[in-house]
Amino acid sequence: MRPATDAIQIRDLSVSYSVVAERPNAGRRTSLVRSTERRLIHALNGVSFDVAAGQVMALIGGNGAGKSTLLKTIVGVLKPVGGQIDLYGRPHLLAPGMGFNRRLSGRENVVLGGLAGGMSLDEVREKQDQIIEFADIGGFIDMPTTTYSSGMFGRLAFAVATHIDTEILLIDEALSAGDAGFRERAVAKVQEMCRAAKTIVVVSHSSTMVAEMATHAVWLHQGQVRRTGELGDVAEEYAAFQAAGGETAQMDRSIADR
Amino acid sequence: MLTRRATRSGIPPLRQYLAESWRYRAFAVYWSRADVKARNFDTLFGRVWNVLNPLLFGVIYFVFVGIIAGGGLDQLDRFGFIVGNLYVWLFFNGTVTNGVGSIQSGAGGVLAQSAIPRVILPVASALSAASLFLRSLIAYVPIHFITGRGVHLEVVWLPLAFVATVMFGLGIALLLAVANVYLRDVSRLLPHLLRLWLYLSPVIWQFTRLESQGSEMVERLGRINPMYHAMVVWTVGFGGDLPGSDESVAASMLVFSVWAVGALLAGFLLFTSREDEFATRN
Repeated sequence: MRPATDAIQIRDLSVSYSVVAERPNAGRRTSLVRSTERRLIHALNGVSFDVAAGQVMALIGGNGAGKSTLLKTIVGVLKPVGGQIDLYGRPHLLAPGMGFNRRLSGRENVVLGGLAGGMSLDEVREKQDQIIEFADIGGFIDMPTTTYSSGMFGRLAFAVATHIDTEILLIDEALSAGDAGFRERAVAKVQEMCRAAKTIVVVSHSSTMVAEMATHAVWLHQGQVRRTGELGDVAEEYAAFQAAGGETAQMDRSIADR
Repeated sequence: MLTRRATRSGIPPLRQYLAESWRYRAFAVYWSRADVKARNFDTLFGRVWNVLNPLLFGVIYFVFVGIIAGGGLDQLDRFGFIVGNLYVWLFFNGTVTNGVGSIQSGAGGVLAQSAIPRVILPVASALSAASLFLRSLIAYVPIHFITGRGVHLEVVWLPLAFVATVMFGLGIALLLAVANVYLRDVSRLLPHLLRLWLYLSPVIWQFTRLESQGSEMVERLGRINPMYHAMVVWTVGFGGDLPGSDESVAASMLVFSVWAVGALLAGFLLFTSREDEFATRN
């Protein structure tokens, strides 16, 4: 039964996926066929926690802890192998540049990126000028994006991604686009999105400003929840764990599939 | 409420899947338009290449058939036949190749970062191929009249052949896109397989030639090929002759339609039952 305030309920979630990796000592052998093998990664194992509606939840943990995997599972890119996630609202992963075609103009990419992000055509048309104004790249908006500097492209991609309305916002990308002036506006925009979205889950390294908005945190370690609670308590415990040298490479959760 | 839960790999609830796909229909149309527009964007002739490219293919194969196969270069009718059929083949070829490529490329991060129903991407590729084909007809129409094919009633078969070719091409694209996710060698083999399929189909040669050589086995094998029936309908629709005296356009249309529906159904079911794995296997 859903408590009236929950936006996300995660129960006993496990996620595994396979990746192609080079076989150990492959370089020493001569083979007619590939020297790679498929390895199964157990990225999340028995993860359970709730996120209340209106809450900003930070995900804390070292590289390979399973933070990005968790966000991709919430958004629906990855499929659980065990447990389940109940979402009371449509989730959106902030992914600047998704759906863009680099050979087209910025203006055309605003439409493509907006549609890829789940906006309707009417919504895109309604917000197009607003997005272009936010990106603030002047006459380049009608030039192919291949002519853009990386900063300009980042600004446009960010502008599109942050104008998509959503109920559950997931943030994993580094939110640093453009110069200092733009970064300030970018953070303000994300904060505005956070206020508009009912619920936010943010990976702690994404943006200090956004992570600072979090009130609660989940600490993931080797694919499992190590601690949940108020941000200050969890962050303090995590910092102590790091200081004690507890954060090690976390890729030992893979097993050879074949 | 949306629920993500562990389920056995299999076909998703179809009504929900189709409704979600419909939600992204505008993306499919715009992605397809962007694909067509982005082609040849850095060339002098730009979009003219969309028309010029198949025309040049036609010229090359006309010369090839004329010189190598001894057909001569003075038969205008043959030129019209080759160009028309090659346009159709490039349309089918583009639907398959781009459909497989759309899943392999990940479509600008769409595959890795969003839950868009994956079938949208090959559908968008099919729309691109269909759009390019219709544009290339701009070059075919004058050739059609110059080569003396004129106005004829059989043209009514073309819309049906068009729809069936989209369906068949999309079905094959979906099947091969799945195979390519598991075995990347498929995309390497694909151009060779399609080239072989082109030569095994009555695209640049008249099927009657083989019949006149008395090769019954080849003739029988030829009729197993769904693109044989497709090309019979297209050829007749373009004002050409039936390949054999006992052929019926209606029968070929029926056979090709059955293949088209079967391929699309099989492709769709296999594709949707496997699409959960695309993000991690890409």
